[in-house]
This record gives sequence, structure tokens and C-alpha cells, in this order.
Amino acid sequence: MSNDKKNVLEVNNLKVTFDTPDGQVEAVKGVTLNIKQGECLGIVGESGSGKSQTFMTTMGLLANNGRAEGDIIFNGTSLLGLSTSELNTVRGRNMSMIFQDPLTSLTPHLTVFEQMSEVLQLHTGVRGREAEAKCLDWLDRVRISEAERRLRQYPHELSGGMRQRVMIAMSMLCSPDLLIADEPTTALDVTVQAEILDLMDELKRENNTAIALITHDMGVVARMCDRIQVMRHGVYVEEGTAEEVFHNPQHDYTKMLLDAMPRIDQPDKATNRKLKEYDLKGRDENFLKVDDVKVHFNIKVPTGLWYKNVPLKAVDGVSFDLKPGETLGIVGESGCGKSTLARAVLQLIPPTEGNVTWLGKPLDASNKADLKAKREDLQIVFQDPLASLDPRMTIADSIMEPLQTFRSDMSRTEMKAKVASMMERVGLDRNMINRYPHELSGGQNQRVGIARAMIMEPKLVVCDEAVSALDVSIQAQIIELLMDLQEEFGLSLLFISHDLSVVREVSHRIMVLYLGRIVELADRNEIYLNPQHPYTQQLISAVPIPDPSVERTRERIRFPGELPSPMDPTAKLRFLKSKLKANQLDYVPELRELKPGHFVAEHDPIEELLAS
Amino acid sequence: MFSFIVKRALSAVPTLLFLIIFSFVLMRLAPGGPFTSEKPLPPQVLANIEAKYGLDQPWLVQIWNYVSGIVTQFDFGPSFRYKDQTVNSILSQGFSVTLVYGFWSFVVAVGVGMPLGIIAAIKHNSWLDYLAVGISIGAQVLPNFVMAPLLVILFTLVLGWLPGGGWNGGQWQYIIMPVIALSTSYMASISRIARSSMLEVLHSNFIRTAKAKGLPMSSIIMKHAIKPALLPVVSYLGPAFVGMITGSVIIDVYFSTGGMGQYFVDAATNRDYSLLMGATIIFGSLTILFNMLADIVYAWLDPKIRLA
Repeated sequence: MSNDKKNVLEVNNLKVTFDTPDGQVEAVKGVTLNIKQGECLGIVGESGSGKSQTFMTTMGLLANNGRAEGDIIFNGTSLLGLSTSELNTVRGRNMSMIFQDPLTSLTPHLTVFEQMSEVLQLHTGVRGREAEAKCLDWLDRVRISEAERRLRQYPHELSGGMRQRVMIAMSMLCSPDLLIADEPTTALDVTVQAEILDLMDELKRENNTAIALITHDMGVVARMCDRIQVMRHGVYVEEGTAEEVFHNPQHDYTKMLLDAMPRIDQPDKATNRKLKEYDLKGRDENFLKVDDVKVHFNIKVPTGLWYKNVPLKAVDGVSFDLKPGETLGIVGESGCGKSTLARAVLQLIPPTEGNVTWLGKPLDASNKADLKAKREDLQIVFQDPLASLDPRMTIADSIMEPLQTFRSDMSRTEMKAKVASMMERVGLDRNMINRYPHELSGGQNQRVGIARAMIMEPKLVVCDEAVSALDVSIQAQIIELLMDLQEEFGLSLLFISHDLSVVREVSHRIMVLYLGRIVELADRNEIYLNPQHPYTQQLISAVPIPDPSVERTRERIRFPGELPSPMDPTAKLRFLKSKLKANQLDYVPELRELKPGHFVAEHDPIEELLAS
Repeated sequence: MFSFIVKRALSAVPTLLFLIIFSFVLMRLAPGGPFTSEKPLPPQVLANIEAKYGLDQPWLVQIWNYVSGIVTQFDFGPSFRYKDQTVNSILSQGFSVTLVYGFWSFVVAVGVGMPLGIIAAIKHNSWLDYLAVGISIGAQVLPNFVMAPLLVILFTLVLGWLPGGGWNGGQWQYIIMPVIALSTSYMASISRIARSSMLEVLHSNFIRTAKAKGLPMSSIIMKHAIKPALLPVVSYLGPAFVGMITGSVIIDVYFSTGGMGQYFVDAATNRDYSLLMGATIIFGSLTILFNMLADIVYAWLDPKIRLA
């Protein structure tokens, strides 16, 4: 069927080389591809595979030290070798691009209208009222609420999802033949991602726009793409229709990518080992108890001459307990307070109210000496492995630091020996002992972070988005490592992530947070197979599943409106609108135990919420 | 905006008051006084003089009288060392000179430094960039006490174009050399700040977006890049402008311009309490004022900042 459609973009044997101080680096080594009208081509690969550079070259956005060879033909015109001014008649008009990071991709000091209208004026000469009407039309089509008001707003006044919609509207203004989307939803929450993907799919069908979707996420590809090309180290390893690639992958790398990708509908799949079922036998129950913890931040709001302090309730009354050797997964979208909660548990941020009990005794930030002694057993692994390590310390020194704090009786030789064995344990080569963080890959740095947290053999480790920044293959390895260490040392984990598939893979129990409150807490299979709260259902249904036949037939639950701001007083009752209508703004939904171990917050029936 | 200015003005009051008390105490703690000299005055005479200037009263009373004099009559009192001159007249005379060459120095520093830095960033790693960087490094390593004599050698002694010093009511021939000597190092700093911030902006994601829209480079620079690139420059300009218009003792001494810099240093060495206090208060007020102006310009450049 698509064979009679003409090619919008043809790339033949493209090579991209960068001149770096370390010599020439070949980022793209002979790539060939074509995209037809109204087709979505998925380009999949891990970081450094050259997938972005291929299309940056197409758009003429190659960095100054880069050189391209080969042939790029767009609608019959060869793009390589065009001057910038010639290229400017094509890009933004016939071919446009949206980028990964919507927060920084819009000019901060220009309004939405100024940024959108300059495209129209440049390529079509349309300006004034006519331009405004056209911009409004597109903002409506990408389903931005209150489009008229948004036109006068600056990017910082919009949420991440809205900014990405503006980017899409802006790139569609001149009805381009080709839309290049470089990781368009990677920085967004799952529910927002689901909506942006639906939107792009709609644009493709309505406008017959060809889409090149660059992504690392096999789930996104499964939902969106007609054809797929898998890239690794600058070359294609496999290509085919979505069905072929997903159901009958040929290349080992494709198979590995598909295997390493955790699936929310198939737990225990991404790793070679299964999570060991939790068994309380022989363990002390008095481990970690969190009782009604609240963390409020004061936000200064200008009122007339002076400021007024308005509390931002980041964590608003959370209670749970954790048993020894257990993993509790904490999920929720950005701003739900999951990281703040974890830090409050460890007293890195003292809770405004509530108590944390550790081994039967209170954890109290005001008792510094006592807390410091307890820290030996309480450790944390952070999201950004590189930024969380001191760049001027060798990795061995970073790993050794807890020993120097807590084990002053050990000699330096003993410490070194212990560091070396710990490094080996987490899969780092002994001879890396004198390396600095910038000399290591992201996965290796995260292993350093884990080694540093594990060296005291703690009883509790908090993993705050510990695998979120890593490629799927590395992610799977790190998860396996955590499971191994848990069994070996019997430690407990608080595993925080926005990625529900990963959380299902590692956690015994899972807690869903919404704006600082628990909405659901249950065993991992219970919560995925039998979710009760509408928010949990929405989250689970928004996660893309890396299987086109499953993904494209799935029903998605979608509630109207954007992800609300935590400063909005009505937002917390989004799933209990009956109390809002009754004007009980301060009502706290009750957490009820549906059946043993399955807690659900009070909510309106889902049919009512979908209807409103 | 209005409430921002009011708030800033209000918060300036305790700041200035603190400045007054702090410098008052500091001066009194320093050994010696305005009437100490190598040949000590007879105690009776000294007591008389001190009584005349009110120096025999407790410090608190002195500060109170001084501050109320300024607030009610804008009177900074008599000078202790320049006979029959009030601090007001010395300040107005000194500042009329310093303001002129300070203002022109500012114009030159910004007018040359900013374009130099921006062009260097746009033509990154080209000969223009290297030239601009070379000029600013050269200007930075030449301190004004080296610059001033070099200028005099060139323009006065060799070429004979400009007078070697004096003020003469502020004729243009007398202004040129002080302005060049004062502005070069500021110009160098401004150009270096502008260059590095422009380079950073040009590598940011929204410039990539602008390129992807197909905009020509000129409008990318003018519409998208300039404003954010100016932010760090502006926060430097507030204090820099105060630095320039309050003068430099080296300029005043070397070119005999008779500006504030000279008076300020003399007042300090002579323990001329009232003149030193007057100059300090003026400097302090100007610093507060121009930092506020810098903040206002900053908010205009960056919509994320709301003045309130």
C-alpha cells in the first residue's frame, strides 16, 4: 500500500565524522534510510548510536567540528552542500524538528506567539491577525487549554507537556512534509507522553506528514511506528516493519534490546533472575516505620509590597512500614513528592511533621550525633551518577569515604582491600581504582554510587531514580546487581522511579503517590492486575508496552486536563470531586484497606471522573 | 515595578544607616584625629577646636547630629581640614569632574566592550575572535597607572596633541586621556563577560530550535540570542558604573583633574571625618541606586524575573 507513495526523505550511505582533540570520531558510519509520505519511521538505539546525529545532519544542525559525507535527498533536492540560506528555505517549512528537552528548547524571553509567528512570517509572509488566527488554530489542534491566553505567555509559565505541544504546533505551522521528533517524550511523565504520542499519530494521519521518531524506548516505537530501523555504533543492525522487528527479531542486538526492556504486563522479564518472593520468616518486624510524615516548603508569593509565605505540601501525611529484606517501590509523576519523601525518611530533609522510627527508636534530625551513627545503616543512591560523585576524587576515594567516617579503627591498607573487593562485587574492574568519574561511563559511575552505598553493608538503601538515566541494557544489569546485593546482605530497598515497568520488576510492594499523598499501596502483582484507584489505572494504562499488537489494541484511560500544579489547592481532590463540589477543600481522602495489604485512597467512581 | 522601587528605597535606609554608623565607628577607632599633627597643639587649644566641631560630645550624640543634619537640611557639615569649605561644596566640585569623565568612560567601556565580545563569540575561533580576545587581555593586563603615563608619553610628549593634565572646566581635550585610562580595564572585562555568555547562549537548545525554524543567523542573534546573553553583562554594569563615576585616585592624581578620587584619599589620610563620611554616603547611595537600576534592566531582559 505505501509502496506507491513517494519518498519524502532518502539518506544514502551517510557518514558523519567529528574532529575531536582525541582524533576523528566516526559517529555515523554509512546509514541508508527512506521515509515515505504519511509514514512513521522509528529509529531506535541506545546513547551514542548516532541516531540523533543522522537527523541533525539532515536539518543542517551538525556541530562545527562535524563533517558529513554521503547523500541526503529531501523531496528530490540534495541537502548536503546546500548553503545555510538555501537550507533555510527548506527547514522550518517543508521539514521541521522537535527536540527532547521542551524546557530549554523554547526561547525564554519571547512569548509563544512571537516564537510561532516568526515561522509564519519567515516562510509564508503571513503576519498580524491572520498569523494569530493560524497560531490559535494550531494550539487548539494540539489541544492546549486556553489557547488564547497561552499565546501571550512565556515558556516558563507553561508546563513541560504544554511546551512540547507548543513545539509541535510550531513545527506544524507550515504543514511540513517531514517531522523529525528526537526523543520527543523522554523528558515527560507517562500520562503526558501518552497524550503527546496520540497527538503525533493523529497529525500523521490527518496531514499525511511523514514522521521520523528517534527514541530509545521500544514501547514508544511499538505504539507509533510503521517501520523500524535499529541502530548501534553508527550503523543499522536491523530494519523492518514493526511486526517483523518485534515478533521476529533477527539481530542479536535487537533481541537484547527487546529482552532488556522491562514490560509492565510481563514481570521478571528484563533480567535473568526473578525477584525472590518476600518471606518474613525469621526477621525482626521492627524495622522502618514511617508515621504521618509531612514535608512542607514555604514558597514566597508576592502580595503587594511584601511577600506572603504559602506552604507547598510536597509530602502531605504519608505512613508506611518497611520490613527487613523487602523492596518497596514508590511511583508517581513529577512533583508527586517521591524524592522528598525518601529524603525525609533518611532525615536529609527534616520532616515538618510526623515520625520515622528505625529499629524501634525514633530517627530525629535534631540529634546530630545519634543520627550520624545511624547513617551507617541508611544509604542512598542518586539519579545522576556523574553529578553525584565528587569530580575531583578518584572513585576509590569516593567509595572509601564512608569507611573513613565510620570505621576509624581500620588501617588504610585494610580499607583499600575492602574497596577493591566491593568494586569487584559491583562489577568494576580492580584496576579502575585510580580513575575519576568523568573517565567512566554512566553505568560504571552508577556502580560506583552503589558500591559507595553498599560498603558499610547498610540495612536500608534508598534508590532515587537510580536507573532512570541509564540505557536499557545497562539498566537491566544494575537491577540485577541490586537484587543480588539484596539477597546477599538481606538489605531493604526503597526503590523510587517514575518508570512503572521497572518498579514492577524489582519491588515486593508498590506505593503510588499523587501530590504528596498515597493513593494506592499493595503487593506488586495485586496493584498491576487489580488496580483500584483511578490514578493508578491511568498511570498503568499510559505505560507503552513494547509489543505492537498489544500496544495498538489497548484501551487507555485518560482524564481531562493537564497534570495539575501542586500549588493548586483543588488539585489534591482531583479524584474526589464530590468533596470539591461540597466545598470541602481541606478534605483528606481516607486510605482504606480493601483487602489485607491492599490500601486504596477514597475516590469518586471512575465513570463519574471520566465524564466530568 | 512600583512596589519594587519603593521596597528597594525603604531597604536602602537601614543599609545607609548601618554604613554611616560602621564607618563612623571605624574612623574614630583609627589612631589620630583631624587635628593631630607632628607638633601637638596645646591641650586648651585642641579642646576649643574639638568643642567647636562638636567632637567633645559622646559618639551617639555626634552621629545623631550628623544624620539629622543630612536628613533635615542635606548638610554634610564643614570640612575639618579645608578651611572655610563645607563638605557639600567639596563634594559638588569633585563630583562635577568625576561624573563627566566617569560617564564617558562608561560609554566607551560598554560601547566598545560589548560589541567586541559579541562579535568575538559569533565569529568563534576565527581571527576576529582571536583579535578581540587579544585586545581584551592586553587591556586587562595594563593597569591604569601604567596606561596613564604611556598615554601622556604618546599624546602629549611625542605627538603634542593633548594637554598632559588639568581639567579646565571639562574641555574635551582634557577629558580624552582620563577616559581612555579609566575605561580600558572595564572595557576588557565587559567584552570577556559578553563573549563567554554569548558563546554559552549560542550553544543552547533554543538557538538550535531557532536554526531548525530556518531563521537567518542575523535574526537568530538579534531576536533570540542578544537578550539572554546580556544578562551577566548587566549584573556587572551596575557596580562597574559606580566604580567609574566615583572616580579613581590614580586618574585624579596623574592628570590633576581634581575629581572625587583625590579628595576621598586625602580625606582618609587627613582624618577629615566629615568629608570622608560625606563621600562614603554618596558612594553607598550610588551603589544602591545603580544596583537597583541593573535589577530593573535585568527584569526587562528576563521575563522569568518578576520585580516585586
